[in-house]
Amino acid sequence: MKLSTALQNKRLGVIVAILIVIVLLPFGFSGVRFAFARRDQMPDVFLEMPAADTSCVRDTEYMRFRHMDLLKQIREEFIRDGIRGDESLTNCRDCHTSRERFCSRCHEAASVILDCFGCHYYPEPDSGAGGSDREVDHG
Amino acid sequence: MDRRDFLKKSGAAIAGASGALSLPLLTACDPNVARPDSPLAGRKWGMVIDLNKCKSDCTACLDACREENNVAFHNDKRWDIHWIRKVNIRNKESEDDVEKPVILLCNHCENPPCAQVCPVQATYKRADGIVVVDHHRCIGCRYCMVACPYNARFFNYRENEEWPNTEYPKRSHGVAESCHFCAHLLDQGRRPACVEACEAGALHFGNLDDPESEVSELVANAPVKRIRDDWGTEPKVYYMGL
Repeated sequence: MKLSTALQNKRLGVIVAILIVIVLLPFGFSGVRFAFARRDQMPDVFLEMPAADTSCVRDTEYMRFRHMDLLKQIREEFIRDGIRGDESLTNCRDCHTSRERFCSRCHEAASVILDCFGCHYYPEPDSGAGGSDREVDHG
Repeated sequence: MDRRDFLKKSGAAIAGASGALSLPLLTACDPNVARPDSPLAGRKWGMVIDLNKCKSDCTACLDACREENNVAFHNDKRWDIHWIRKVNIRNKESEDDVEKPVILLCNHCENPPCAQVCPVQATYKRADGIVVVDHHRCIGCRYCMVACPYNARFFNYRENEEWPNTEYPKRSHGVAESCHFCAHLLDQGRRPACVEACEAGALHFGNLDDPESEVSELVANAPVKRIRDDWGTEPKVYYMGL
């Protein structure tokens, strides 16, 4: 092999390597962020506890990250089959008295739109008004 | 076995197998199959409306329904929602040619056209025969309003600001709704708000499957009619004196 061809091949290899790095960069970043995002670095709003009672219907870890699954499950069971247990959105507010502290703050941090309370009554103790946090535009 | 026979037999085997395998899928998609442990099964709620006792100037049932179910009233007929309403009609074939009030509400059909057309199965028939809307699932396509032959379905064109009964949720802008026989009160062992509010005793409510119940005896013995009985929708709201 002549020297010029070998140099050319080497340059080609470098270009291909750079291209591969550029393509994989976003995946790499998200992987790195996921690895470094430890639970204790999450915002304080995750750690708020109700004052009245310390026992919830599930353990804290489940309720923090999977409460939407539980709400959907009890909703389907109740509306479709009439099976009404002790767990319901109405019963949540017995302990979690403030919508702002237990729902809105965390949902805003996670930027997940919350539209339960346009229809379900959950007043703010301060303002005394029900109603939605914002104008829901259904187009 | 020659080539022709092989193709015939393998085709028949594939058709049979696919039919047998898809049967459980088809039954799983049937919206009328309730869970066996559902506490709703074994009943069929129905209503008998005695129009001879109904007074034309009384609006007790209409007001009670609005109060109980947070039904939107904007004082504009384009957007007003009526789960139960009263119209004055005249039967020209009867001897007395006078206007009579008729109470109209969702007929809770045994074969509900609204549930058949709903593309997301938001409207469905519960195990106790009540036709209900799951407002979480409703996409607001309004097919049910077109399908309903009784004009019992209404659409939330606007957000409802009134919230008289905070124990019961209201509906957001963009979903269809109709009477649900106050299913939340039935679960508590009460009767629908309109029946509880009617002082004239014109509204009778009960279990049509129970032959001892008031409504069953009225349906069996009194001269009852259903609206457009010939359509095959099998309504569960019966009228006396229609």
